[in-house]
Amino acid sequence: MSFTRMMEGNEAAAWGAKLARAEVVPAYPITPQTELISNIATLIADGTMKAEYIKVEGEHTAMAAAVGASVAGARVFTASSSQGLAFMEEALWQPPGRRLPIVMCMVNRTMGPLGGLRPDHTDSLLQRDLGWIQLYCENSQEVLDTILMGYKVGEDRDIYLPVGVCYDGYFVSATATPTTVPDQAEVDKWLPPYRHEWYSLIPGEFKMPPPQSFVQMRMGLEDALQRSKKAIEAVDKDYKRRFGRGYDGLLEEYNCKDAEAVIMTMGSMTGTARDVVDIMRDKGKNVGLIKMRGFRPFPTEELQRIAPKYKALAVVDRNNSFGSAGGGIVSMEVARALYSVPDRPLLLNFHVGLSGTDVTMRQIEYMYKETLKAAETGKVRRVVDWVETHDLGEVM
Amino acid sequence: MISEKFDRRYSDILIQGGTQCCPGCGGPLFWKLALEALGPETIVYGDGPCAMCALRSIKVPFFAIHFSFIADGATGISAAMRAKGREDITIVSSGGDGATGDISLGKVSAAAERNENIIQVCIDNEAYMNTGIQKSGLTPYGAWTTTTPAGKESNKKDVPLIIAAHKVPYVATASVAYPRDLQAKLRKAKEIKGFKYIHTVIPCPTGWRFDPAKSVEVTRLGVDTWTWPLYEIEKGVLKMSRKPEQKPVTEYLKAQGRFRGLKELQVEHIQAEVDARRKNLIAQDGKSLTI
Amino acid sequence: MSQMVRAFAPKADPDKCVGCGNCQLYCPEGTVMLDENKKPIYDYRYCKGCGVCANECPVHAIEMVKEGTQ
Repeated sequence: MSFTRMMEGNEAAAWGAKLARAEVVPAYPITPQTELISNIATLIADGTMKAEYIKVEGEHTAMAAAVGASVAGARVFTASSSQGLAFMEEALWQPPGRRLPIVMCMVNRTMGPLGGLRPDHTDSLLQRDLGWIQLYCENSQEVLDTILMGYKVGEDRDIYLPVGVCYDGYFVSATATPTTVPDQAEVDKWLPPYRHEWYSLIPGEFKMPPPQSFVQMRMGLEDALQRSKKAIEAVDKDYKRRFGRGYDGLLEEYNCKDAEAVIMTMGSMTGTARDVVDIMRDKGKNVGLIKMRGFRPFPTEELQRIAPKYKALAVVDRNNSFGSAGGGIVSMEVARALYSVPDRPLLLNFHVGLSGTDVTMRQIEYMYKETLKAAETGKVRRVVDWVETHDLGEVM
Repeated sequence: MISEKFDRRYSDILIQGGTQCCPGCGGPLFWKLALEALGPETIVYGDGPCAMCALRSIKVPFFAIHFSFIADGATGISAAMRAKGREDITIVSSGGDGATGDISLGKVSAAAERNENIIQVCIDNEAYMNTGIQKSGLTPYGAWTTTTPAGKESNKKDVPLIIAAHKVPYVATASVAYPRDLQAKLRKAKEIKGFKYIHTVIPCPTGWRFDPAKSVEVTRLGVDTWTWPLYEIEKGVLKMSRKPEQKPVTEYLKAQGRFRGLKELQVEHIQAEVDARRKNLIAQDGKSLTI
Repeated sequence: MSQMVRAFAPKADPDKCVGCGNCQLYCPEGTVMLDENKKPIYDYRYCKGCGVCANECPVHAIEMVKEGTQ
């Protein structure tokens, strides 16, 4: 039976793992993911979920156990954050390289020593080069839905990629919003049991991918990621058809009709930005919002298609890449994607919400004002703007 | 035809002859013996020792990640087999001394604590041989390696005892020089549910510096001098597998180039340590080791 | 294949051999076995010439000879 109630992101994620019928969950607690795994432990203990929950002694082990279990034919779910993701880095290379469709929640938390427990996206973005699909969720509902979609995309025999379902610690993980949990039988009809065609460890049926050169393997991985763009969009549409909720695939344009100035956000701040856009539009401002849901594979083609509609595009980076070519990680990828587009918009880059500070409506409004100014004047005031350095008259 | 006979044999013994290991390496010998004891319903997981070159030749399902993940992948494989109702398949997790005793010691300890239903084997050639003979925590005192050219200053880490302290069902030491004993221990481990640990010191002609033909002979000397005593710890109770007439430790040391630099005082120290250990083992034989 | 790396190869004297099976037991590569007459036969495709069999033979029935002369 499907049901709806207020649910924190970590609980919604647990229900996602349960509905997906994850068979092996090797996990190690870390704030702000902890409730996710204790929720799974509870679901297993009370018989709601049937899975092997391995209480590993560290994240490095968690991902290795995940790899072993996935190769051995089990559907695997795990989760981590920040320092834990960094600790399992060595193992994080394995699933994409071996093409194992593990789904992992990356509950975003800033990296130490330059922050505490609150969210920014540096932790998951740090892992962007490995070959994981990365989808960024705005609320509890999207987390649950994206986990199911993650398995469907990842286990597609033409794809075979691991999926990182990323969501902000605290702002999503520990904030309750209305969440609909679909009916298990309906999910079972939509998501078949896991069967990897390339691997078997059963004696007598031993199977491993055929030997290839390392270059061939890398090209194969890159091709799979490129193919996954269509798969992500198709699965999203299919999920919407079946369960009534969709997320526009990799990029969503929100209230962008005739917009001159748009900002691009990732994660929970998107929810706040939606409200700001609506308010400013009511006041007659030509603003719009682009939600980047998929960071990997980077939606280059889609961005190249939609960006020329706008005069100025501001990328909001809730992350740091110290010493970079210019600004945050997302803005640099956007700049690269749009480099060859002749009528590309002016590009602005804002750092906000770093180390998990709140992203306020006033800050978003400030970003829109700057972007509108750029659209009007044809000039960008600051190439990279750390919004928190400005006193906007708020108590932060 | 002889080659046909052998091709059939390699299928039977579950390992292809002609591994990439050095001539005389104890690694392939270990796996040849082990797979005969364990049989085909086995999955081997592991990485690390250059003895692993032998693992590329085995004919049972095999999977490896890196040597920093010893016991981890096996934990995942074991969970998957439980999920699929195939707990009848024996899962062996393999690591060298560097893997099991150093970089993955925490992993092995955790798997022991969780009482994972696997046989963890340590194939100990007493140094990081794969990367060109560097010291590991299990390199014996006084041994030459490229990172201890004047001889290792510290003692060999006693990993079997560390694992026994986790109160796992079965811990054993073994030697390729005593193959039937090794095989009996593996067969016993196969029938026990829970975490089993079997530690075998294997000869390395390349790293220990001796004529490959002497591989088994040197290994036998290790046991007969009580440098590498053979025992089991089953449910916490110590049981000596052999109590050989003790040969002086110099016989073992002189047979290997890696101990050539030892001074008189150091040899005496080694003999004293071996004697003390032997005394303790004999005193504890048949008794519970757990506190 | 192994002829390229082997300096010495094992040669068994069937008359001296007592069929104890030590060579088969201790060969690290499994490239020697006792045939139906309990005499050692070698897979020279894969034998590395390590000499363990010769060393472990209790009756010295195996000799390590120059490669190519076995």
